[in-house]
Amino acid sequence: MARRSPISSLVGHVRALATGLKYLLAPRMTVRYPEEVLVLPEGYRGMISYNKKLCISCGMCARICPADAMKMYPGPEEGGRRKMYPGINYARCIFCGFCVDVCPTGALEHTDVHDMAFESFEAQIMTPEEFERGPPRPEFRRPPRRLKPVMDERRGIRYEPVD
Amino acid sequence: MMEWLEKILELLFSPWLFVPLVYPGLISVFIVLLFIIWLERKVAAKVQLRYGPLYVLKQLGGAIQLVADLLRYLFAEPIVPEEADRVAFVMGPILLFAAAYLPCVAIPVSGSFYAFRSDISLLVSLGLLTLVPAATLLIGWASNNKFSLIGGLREGYLSMAYEIPLLLSALSMAALYGTMDLVKIVEHQSGFSWGILRNPLAAFTFLLLCFMSTSRFPFEIAEAESEIVMGPYTEYSGILYGLAMGASYIKLYILSIIFSLLFLGGWEPCPPFLSRIGPVAPGLVVFVKAVAIMCVGIFLRSVYPRYRIDQAIRIGWHITFPLSIASVLLSLGVMWVG
Repeated sequence: MARRSPISSLVGHVRALATGLKYLLAPRMTVRYPEEVLVLPEGYRGMISYNKKLCISCGMCARICPADAMKMYPGPEEGGRRKMYPGINYARCIFCGFCVDVCPTGALEHTDVHDMAFESFEAQIMTPEEFERGPPRPEFRRPPRRLKPVMDERRGIRYEPVD
Repeated sequence: MMEWLEKILELLFSPWLFVPLVYPGLISVFIVLLFIIWLERKVAAKVQLRYGPLYVLKQLGGAIQLVADLLRYLFAEPIVPEEADRVAFVMGPILLFAAAYLPCVAIPVSGSFYAFRSDISLLVSLGLLTLVPAATLLIGWASNNKFSLIGGLREGYLSMAYEIPLLLSALSMAALYGTMDLVKIVEHQSGFSWGILRNPLAAFTFLLLCFMSTSRFPFEIAEAESEIVMGPYTEYSGILYGLAMGASYIKLYILSIIFSLLFLGGWEPCPPFLSRIGPVAPGLVVFVKAVAIMCVGIFLRSVYPRYRIDQAIRIGWHITFPLSIASVLLSLGVMWVG
C-alpha cells in the first residue's frame, strides 16, 4: 500500500468532514409513509383485480404463474358442466404480472394497491368470489399527503406534493 | 417539613455528595447518556437524509426514545450463558460502568466547589480512567465467546497504543501550567488564554485519543459490529448490556470534561449572572463545553468507516505518540519563551 503524505491525508480528513457537514444541512428525503404516500407511476404492478364477466375460464393465468399463486377453482354447476375460475394466493404472488399479460380477454388487471397487510395467512388465499371483490384497500386514520417523485439534477430524487 | 427540606438540600449541595451524585456524577451522566445517544442516532440519520428516532414524542423529534430503550433494557432478562464465568460475567459491566464513572470524583465543579482538592487531581482522574480497558478485557474473557475474546483483546491492543500518548499530551499541559491541580490549571487560563491556543498540538492529540479510547468512529474496533457482532459485549442482554454500552459514552463524557478543563478554559470565562447564583453554577459552563466536544465525537460516526486494528495501532504509535512528544517539547518551548 502506498503511504500518503501526512498533509494529503489531513486534507482528505478535512474534506470527509466537510462532506458530512454538507449532508447534515441538506434536506431529508424520507417519505413518512402513513402520513405521506407516493403517487404511483402508470403500469405499476400492484395487487390484481379480476373481472369474472370477461373470464373465459381458459386457465392460462394459472398455467403461466411462476410462483404457483394462481389456481383454478371449480365454479357452480351449470347445465351439467362446471366451469373453473381463478383464485389467488398473495402469500405466493411475486407480482410479476405474467397472468395479466397472458389473459386473452383482459379480465385480470393490476391495481395500485401495494401496501396491504393481512392479519392471517389464510386471509391471503382468495377464492374466485373473494378475488372478484378486488384487493382490500388500506385504511388511513387521516387522509395522507400525496407526493410525486421528481428527478432533480443536484439531488437525484425530490418529492413534491400533489393536490 | 421545611426544616427537613432545607436539610436535604443542604446535604445534596454538600460537595462530597453533589459531585458523585449530581454533577459531574450520576444524574448528569444519565442526562448526557440519554441526550447524546439520541443525538448520535439523529445526526447519523440526518447525514444519511433520514429522520432517525421520531415516533416516541414526535413533537420533540423522538427525544425520549432513549428513555424507552432504557426501560426495555431494564425489563429485559439478563441472560448468563452456562459456560460463562458467572461472577466475572455479572460483575464485568458493573465494574466497567463504575470505572468509567469513578474519575468524576477528582473533577472540580468550580474554583471553590470540589469533592476533594488534590495537587494531582489531573493524574488521579486520568489514572482512574485507565481501569476501563481492564474491565473490558475481563468482560471479553468471562463471556467464553470467541467474538467477546477477540473484542476484548482488540481493546487490550488498542489501549497500549492510546494510553501513553493520551497521558503524555495531558502531562504536557501540566508541564505548561506547572501544576496538576485541575483548579489551578483552569485559573491559569483566565482571560481567554486557553490551553488550546497555547498548545494546539496537545489539544489535537488529546482530542484524537479521546475518540480513540472511547471507541468512537473511525476507531470503533473493539465492538466492530460488522466483524465481531458486538465485541466484548456480544453475550450480554438486558440492563447488563445497557451498562456495558453506556460505559464508553461515560468515558467520553469524563474525557470531554477533562479536555474542556485542560484546553477550553474550564469555567472561565464565566458569565457574571452564573457566578452570582452559587459556587455550583460555573460548572454549567464546563458541562456545555464538554457536551459540545461530545457532539464532535458522535458526528464522526456518520462520516468515517472503521480502521483496521493494525491501522489504528499504527496511528497510535506512529502518529499520536510522536505528536504527544512534540507537544511536550512545544510546552517546554512555550515555557522557555515566556
